[in-house]
Amino acid sequence: MDLTGAFGARSAAVGACREPPGLESLHLGGGDGGFTALLELPPTQAVELLHFTDPSPSSSQAAVAGIGLDVSPPPPPLHAYGALTFPSNAALMERAARFSVMANEQQNGNVSGETTTTSSVPSNSDRVKTEPGETDSSQRLENNRCGIGKRKELDKKVKGSTKKKSKSSEENEKLPYVHVRARRGQATDSHSLAERARREKINARMKLLQELVPGCDKIQGTALVLDEIINHVQSLQRQVEMLSMRLAAVNPRIDFNLDTLLASENCSLIDGSFNGTAMQLAWPHQVTETEQSFHHRQLQLQQPPQPQQWPYDGLNQPAWGREDDQGHGNEHNSLMAVSENLMVGSASLHPNQVKMEL
Amino acid sequence: MASAYNPIYTDVPEKDVFALHFLQTLSNLRTQNSFSSPDNKTSDRVKKIKKAAYVSMARAAGATNRLWSRSLLHQAAKRNNKNVRFLRRKRRVTWLMRRRSNRGDPIEDVAAERLRNLVPGGGGMETSKLMEETAHYIKCLSMQVKVMQCLVDGLSPK
Repeated sequence: MDLTGAFGARSAAVGACREPPGLESLHLGGGDGGFTALLELPPTQAVELLHFTDPSPSSSQAAVAGIGLDVSPPPPPLHAYGALTFPSNAALMERAARFSVMANEQQNGNVSGETTTTSSVPSNSDRVKTEPGETDSSQRLENNRCGIGKRKELDKKVKGSTKKKSKSSEENEKLPYVHVRARRGQATDSHSLAERARREKINARMKLLQELVPGCDKIQGTALVLDEIINHVQSLQRQVEMLSMRLAAVNPRIDFNLDTLLASENCSLIDGSFNGTAMQLAWPHQVTETEQSFHHRQLQLQQPPQPQQWPYDGLNQPAWGREDDQGHGNEHNSLMAVSENLMVGSASLHPNQVKMEL
Repeated sequence: MASAYNPIYTDVPEKDVFALHFLQTLSNLRTQNSFSSPDNKTSDRVKKIKKAAYVSMARAAGATNRLWSRSLLHQAAKRNNKNVRFLRRKRRVTWLMRRRSNRGDPIEDVAAERLRNLVPGGGGMETSKLMEETAHYIKCLSMQVKVMQCLVDGLSPK
């Protein structure tokens, strides 16, 4: 990750500062100079936004806490929610001092002078740096207030950095709120931020849809992809209509013994042990040969062990055997059984002629 | 299908759930007298079967967990009871509609509109939510199609 290299360079430049954080500890109630100084950290440093839940009583402590996040040799786990506990050791204190010194040297002046307004927001550890344990979870530990306006000011500070920012304006699907990071060179008013978040949401879902619909990955451009999706939905609906017409044509008579069958089917499907219960059903012994032959066949099939896929070779159901999932195979057996119940009187249906392409 | 972690939840039950629901609905359909007595292929039968297919699909896919299934079942129930034309557009969330009209990207709005007409219950949804529902709807539709195909193949005389 190029960021790590940049961080390394920066740390060298900053003077043995391992992880130069671009801290913006928002809830520094006390230290005014220190706070803004921290905010105006050298732009070469990573851009981080940290929100602390509990405003610490002393600015130094907060600074320490803020810095200590990425600095201490074993970095404390970035639990975004709740109070962050940081080891306040001497090293952190000196780092805090150092940062304030550095910040004073380089004044960017792009601080909007915001104070602890968003202190109510649970901490957000949006670590951009090289933390090895950084997973998506740490990035997902984000919370946002409804107003993105708060962030816009922070993002203004962020923009001052000359380094390329990490694009962390990902969308968080799990949490109700979404953190949006302004990218470099982009407007940071709340409207465009919200718009960008929305657009990225839509893009994420578009990708999902693209995977679903066959042949959509090749297409470029959202409009064509959407058209393809619409065509797919329409074709599926038409297929349902066609199949329902065919079903209506195929079913001359009705058998009413489905209830017991379906009831047991219901239980067995839910249990997963479909094999036994379906076969041990009190099948309505119809007089059709199809039914009987089917029934005989299923009695034979009881011998193989339950979890195993039924040996379809001996039976003329090769298509069914292709199902990987055992549930499917059994389901289609029952499906056939039920459908044969439906076809009482139509002796033309022979099980050995039935092939279901699944 | 690979079980990749997808924060957008669009899982769909297995085929047997769909089959079960469909067969149940069909059997319910068949216990109706009006269904069996006209032996000819009337369009009513087709319509009923089609509706049964959709309703069973909606139930199988988690009846109330999804917007489209809820809307489908609502439509079906209404059509049974009275000839009330269902309101595709929910009257609620005017702010939502306003927002949609304001922020809509012209490219995707046209397509989103068509999608809303296709997916049941799509009138009251924002575009991102609409696409989630579409994804789930597509999955369920393909499951249902598979089930019906199997049924038809199994039942069609050779």
